[in-house]
Amino acid sequence: MKHRKSPMMTSRRSFLAGTGAVAAGITLAPHKSFSAEDKVINFYNWDTYIGETTLDDFAAATGIEAKMDLFADNDELFAKLREGNPGFDVIVPSNDYVERMAVADMLSPLDHDKIPNIANIEPVFMEAAFDPGRKFSLPYMWGTIGIGYRAGAVDGVPDSWKWLYDSDKYSGRIALLGDASTVMGLALKYLGYSYNTVDPAEIKQAEELIIAQKPHIKLFADDNGQDLLASGEVNLAQEWNGDILQVQEEDEDIAYIVPKEGAVIWQDCLCIPAGAPHPQNAHAFIDYLLDAEAGAAIADFIQYATPNGAAKKLMSEEYLSNPAIFPTEEVIAKLEPEIYRGEEVTKLFDEAWTRINAV
Amino acid sequence: MGWLRAPAGGPLDYHRRWWLRAYVGLVFLLLYAPIVTLVVFSFNDSKRNIVWRGFTTKYYWKAWNNDSLFEAFTNSLMIAGVSTAISTVIGTMVAMLLWRFRFPLKSAYEGLVALPIVVPEICMGVAMLAFFSRVTGFPTDWPWPFNLSAITAAHIAFSFPFVAVVVRARLIGFNRELEEASRDLGASEWQTFWNVIFPYMRPGVVAGALLAFTLSLDDFVVTFFTSGPDTLTFPVKVYSMVRFSVTPEVNAASTVLIAITIALTVLAMRLQSPARVG
Amino acid sequence: MDHWRDHKLAFWVFAIPGTAWLVVFFLAPLAIVWALSFGENISITQTRVTGTLENYGRALLTPVYLQVIWKSVWLSALATAGCLLIAYPVAFLISFVGARWKMILLAAIILPFWINLLIRTYALIAVFRTRGFVNFGLEWVYETLFLDRLFGPFQPLELLYNNFAVGAGLIYVFMPFMVLPLYASIERLDKSLLEASLDLGAGQFTTFWRVTVPLTMPGIVSGIILVFIPMLGSFLIPDLLGGTNAQMIGNVIERQFKSANDYPFGAALSFLLMYATFAALALRAYAAGRRSAAQV
Repeated sequence: MKHRKSPMMTSRRSFLAGTGAVAAGITLAPHKSFSAEDKVINFYNWDTYIGETTLDDFAAATGIEAKMDLFADNDELFAKLREGNPGFDVIVPSNDYVERMAVADMLSPLDHDKIPNIANIEPVFMEAAFDPGRKFSLPYMWGTIGIGYRAGAVDGVPDSWKWLYDSDKYSGRIALLGDASTVMGLALKYLGYSYNTVDPAEIKQAEELIIAQKPHIKLFADDNGQDLLASGEVNLAQEWNGDILQVQEEDEDIAYIVPKEGAVIWQDCLCIPAGAPHPQNAHAFIDYLLDAEAGAAIADFIQYATPNGAAKKLMSEEYLSNPAIFPTEEVIAKLEPEIYRGEEVTKLFDEAWTRINAV
Repeated sequence: MGWLRAPAGGPLDYHRRWWLRAYVGLVFLLLYAPIVTLVVFSFNDSKRNIVWRGFTTKYYWKAWNNDSLFEAFTNSLMIAGVSTAISTVIGTMVAMLLWRFRFPLKSAYEGLVALPIVVPEICMGVAMLAFFSRVTGFPTDWPWPFNLSAITAAHIAFSFPFVAVVVRARLIGFNRELEEASRDLGASEWQTFWNVIFPYMRPGVVAGALLAFTLSLDDFVVTFFTSGPDTLTFPVKVYSMVRFSVTPEVNAASTVLIAITIALTVLAMRLQSPARVG
Repeated sequence: MDHWRDHKLAFWVFAIPGTAWLVVFFLAPLAIVWALSFGENISITQTRVTGTLENYGRALLTPVYLQVIWKSVWLSALATAGCLLIAYPVAFLISFVGARWKMILLAAIILPFWINLLIRTYALIAVFRTRGFVNFGLEWVYETLFLDRLFGPFQPLELLYNNFAVGAGLIYVFMPFMVLPLYASIERLDKSLLEASLDLGAGQFTTFWRVTVPLTMPGIVSGIILVFIPMLGSFLIPDLLGGTNAQMIGNVIERQFKSANDYPFGAALSFLLMYATFAALALRAYAAGRRSAAQV
């Protein structure tokens, strides 16, 4: 532990070899200087969330090698960066986490001048309540959370959250999602409150609604609602639109609807975390992802809604007219994005969720 | 070892009892039913593991051409190999320490060694995250495979206590008179260890090493929190892949992993068996 | 057993590597989390260690957490018992077959565990779900026997998404951690003792209970320790196989370090679990010590 230093003083990357090098019995070359950036960038992304050749194309276009690591949800991403950035240059958090990370000084501001392709983004997406002026984030993909259902097994179109939250009609054939804020937020929506309420009485009411409905809910499915639907385990599942879309390809009996009470709209964003070792490359990479052709290739492969107007012009009619990807204006009007409401509210939700799961 | 070759149906030939065989057979059936399903569905011509839609090997090609899967694969095997080797040695030494010596505060020491078994995974993961990011500042930009050293170090930390527990359980029954006899016959400490004690504890060491390998190969939580950029491992890859659903590609990759580990195990057994008969 | 002073060199050679590794790569990291359990959140990412006992108080005085802990304990205890019942005959058989088969069977036990836990669990789901192979098989038997004409159409069994599924899943996942220590200790059993017992007129059953089980007790105990304790803290199995009330304490702890972002409370819950385990282990060591002292 000869080289131990206070981490507060210097960035993590600048530490020289500690115990491990000695233990491994190797000598390290002297540390490279950082006057010019290495031709690499560390991209931290969701799996299957980029075009098949995007990284290679980027390397061909700029000579910068993009290395991608994967996280499975926003909480993982947050936990990973909480104690300091271990060396990532570009990350993809969702809207509420953009705000939370910005409040926690975990993001570094974007230099819009270095990202000319910002012009490709549809103007409506350049305004965001969670990141005023798009100081820290640029939109990558967006979508909704609604109800995926097996059309042959339900009466008509289940266009209300009632069928999931407040009815025994489909008892034992219902799967809700597995995280507190979404499940309770949508219960609040059904009760006619805001998804983002901070009123403890309203939150309590949502908790009671879910507890009363528990005998009829089969499970809280973290991420496999679409598989449960496809295998016939449940007939109604609360899910992300993209996940339902994937099962629709093979099973035409499955459909997706945003209920009339409204739902939640999410947006995954490109950000540069504080302490990123290659900020220049990171800007270049974000710019590349927002390019018309690159953006179209990505959207074509992952089949989520892109906010990239220039890319949309290159996309097929089939993609653009799919209501599960792009909801109608009327539906969009009823959608609410999740807002970061402070740690106290997070705690309130977690406690409620523990009680819901314990009864 | 004469009892092994006792005539069929002898009182100690438990392995010839049909009911014991049937019972163990049933256990293996339950153990393997999911695995067989998994292998079969890796050849399924459908994006999902729900219904059979015809035979295909395309997911093997897809997995083969999936660079990050490949990288994750190599990283995981590398970490598991090194971690198993080191934790087997350290764990065996700790087991011998506890078996052989009386020393002050021994039960407290035993408790400490058992601690990694007791700690909830997530808690250990967070501990590792805090440790590697703020205390040592382990560099993350070493060349492969040294960029994996933080993960490997953490894996050894939680694996070797398992080895120690298993080896020690084995050593408890060792008859120390054998050791004395060996020394009386003029063998050195080292010869005694190698020729008398080690052959005796070998099943325990093998069992411990198997556990260590299993723990390392399958660890997600601690690895996730310990990894820096460009250190993708197989479980981390799988966790992010199945987020979107379990595709046959994941099954194909697992099947290949099974095949590789079977091959390695058979090879190891071949190399080991004719040599050194205890 | 030797006194350490009589073999100082050997003692230190055996003691240093393990102890050093434990201190640097385990105790030091854990000490950070332990300190956090006496801390308060002062911002989204920062915690100050103030020596407060509030986190422990919250864990011990809020009924819901005790309820979850209690549930985890009995579910893990049942699953451990199940694991032992299933694993013992397997380990027993393995230690009585020839050397070649021994290696093959051991490898066969461990092999499924080299497949990623998540993938294995999803495979398990595919086998046991309402439209899974177990139900298909049962349905086939049911209809072949024309039972559907007697009792109406086949009702698939609900094998997943309940506490039973969680227990079965835990047994499945932790099997090798029971089989291996059992095997290691049954294998070293002096078989002539069994012969002697049988020769002296004890039946197979008596021999098993009065000779085999007591002699393999160290293996049984280490198996129980290796299985029960990690089961207590597991979160993935209840998450994937459980229904709406499957939550175990591992899930609550996991949430504190992830979505709830309350590290001090998560640390306090983790350490409560550890304190309890330690108390149990110490109690066992104390009891074992008294028993052996009484025998001398």
